[in-house]
Amino acid sequence: MCRPGDAGSLSGVITIDGLVKRRGAKEILSGVGFEARPGRVTGFLGPNGAGKSSTLRILLGLDRAQAGTALIDGVPFAALPDPVRTVGAVLDGSGAHRSRTGRAHLRWVARAGGLPLSRVDEVLELVGLADAGAKRVGGYSLGMGRRLALATALLGDPSVLVLDEPINGLDPEGIRFVRTFLRERARAGRTVLLSSHLMGELAETVDDVVVIDHGRIVAQGSLAEVTGAHRNLEEAFFALVSR
Amino acid sequence: MRAELSKLASLWSVWLASAVAVLAPSGIALLNRGVPGPDRGYQELAFGVMGVIILGVVAVSSEYFTEGAESGGGRQITTSLTAVPSRLRFLAAKAAAVALVAALLAVVAATATMSFAAGSSWEPARLAGVVCYWTYTALLAFGVTVLTRHGVVPLVVLLVNTSLVSVTYLLSRFFAVAGYFPDLAGARMFVEPNDTKVEMAPIVGFLVMSGWVAALLAIAAVVFTRRDA
Repeated sequence: MCRPGDAGSLSGVITIDGLVKRRGAKEILSGVGFEARPGRVTGFLGPNGAGKSSTLRILLGLDRAQAGTALIDGVPFAALPDPVRTVGAVLDGSGAHRSRTGRAHLRWVARAGGLPLSRVDEVLELVGLADAGAKRVGGYSLGMGRRLALATALLGDPSVLVLDEPINGLDPEGIRFVRTFLRERARAGRTVLLSSHLMGELAETVDDVVVIDHGRIVAQGSLAEVTGAHRNLEEAFFALVSR
Repeated sequence: MRAELSKLASLWSVWLASAVAVLAPSGIALLNRGVPGPDRGYQELAFGVMGVIILGVVAVSSEYFTEGAESGGGRQITTSLTAVPSRLRFLAAKAAAVALVAALLAVVAATATMSFAAGSSWEPARLAGVVCYWTYTALLAFGVTVLTRHGVVPLVVLLVNTSLVSVTYLLSRFFAVAGYFPDLAGARMFVEPNDTKVEMAPIVGFLVMSGWVAALLAIAAVVFTRRDA
């Protein structure tokens, strides 16, 4: 996975500052700002509707913010010279059209990103979909779809992984796979930013924690700092968001 | 562009569109063998644009097709725009892929149709008009679907207009200005209607339809680059 010689050149700092997003009269984000660093898994936690997905979509250039910046190595996602080799994103579902096979999906993404097509079988292998590559995405289970999304994100072997609710709806085996996988990525010096509303599932996976509620960041720091005097992350979380 | 072509090639609905594009006009020409006429072949080809309408629509609507909630509710457009963050580049590549496939289909369909049609005449200028008309029609369907982000409405409206009841044609019976609708004006590139209120040379028809295509694609590009994906 980690090619020799590139560990030293890896960067991938995510810097988000002062994001404001309104939809109609409703303010979804009110000055969201935090940082995610290489070599760490950063958990972006908050209840449903707190603004996690909006923040990540703005970071990925999918949605526009009214104010603030979301930068990767100092530049917005859309201005990255080589986006697919810098950032991999896992958003809702598989991100693939149901009438294509998993392999056909990965092939067009590889072409769009200027990546060698040999990567397609490598990532299928990596996420455990080697046997399902010729199957249509419409016939995938939820867990398989999520694995395909992860495979897509990994095509460019990026220094940053951004994942929105990656363990949502997965079976225990799938959750364990994702956890182990993300820990390994961080150990290899990559940046991992994942959002979740499932606190208990994440305590063993994350190094740093950012807590969002009603469009505002209510806590951030290392897992130990945010947990503080509380018994565990879950307790700390409910204490923070019920204020 | 190559990625967009490979996206099209791996959608079954694009193959369906291609089959319609080639089989509909050539099949009708085959049925009409016994009735020769000056526009034989060209009439069938005007009708055959249905195939490229489907092509233009599904090229865009497939990006916005939402997976069922049980599979996570994702859409391909997020994958596309994280692979190619420049929206103009993405849209241009997609439009180019659609135009290329539509033009190819037009060439194949025209060749098949003209060889089946009774008493048809191979006129290079008119046949070039057919290819142009098909390509432009695919791009119009593409542009409309970028605006609606959903395939059903543009598909139904555009297909009904070319097949069952031509609303634009009916309007043109009452209002001369309706003759400048893109479908009617563009068809002047290769067929001359005998009951028209507006006289239009093929080159004017070409310019009018070009104007429609340019304007619609410009609007689609502005909207697409500004809105949330």
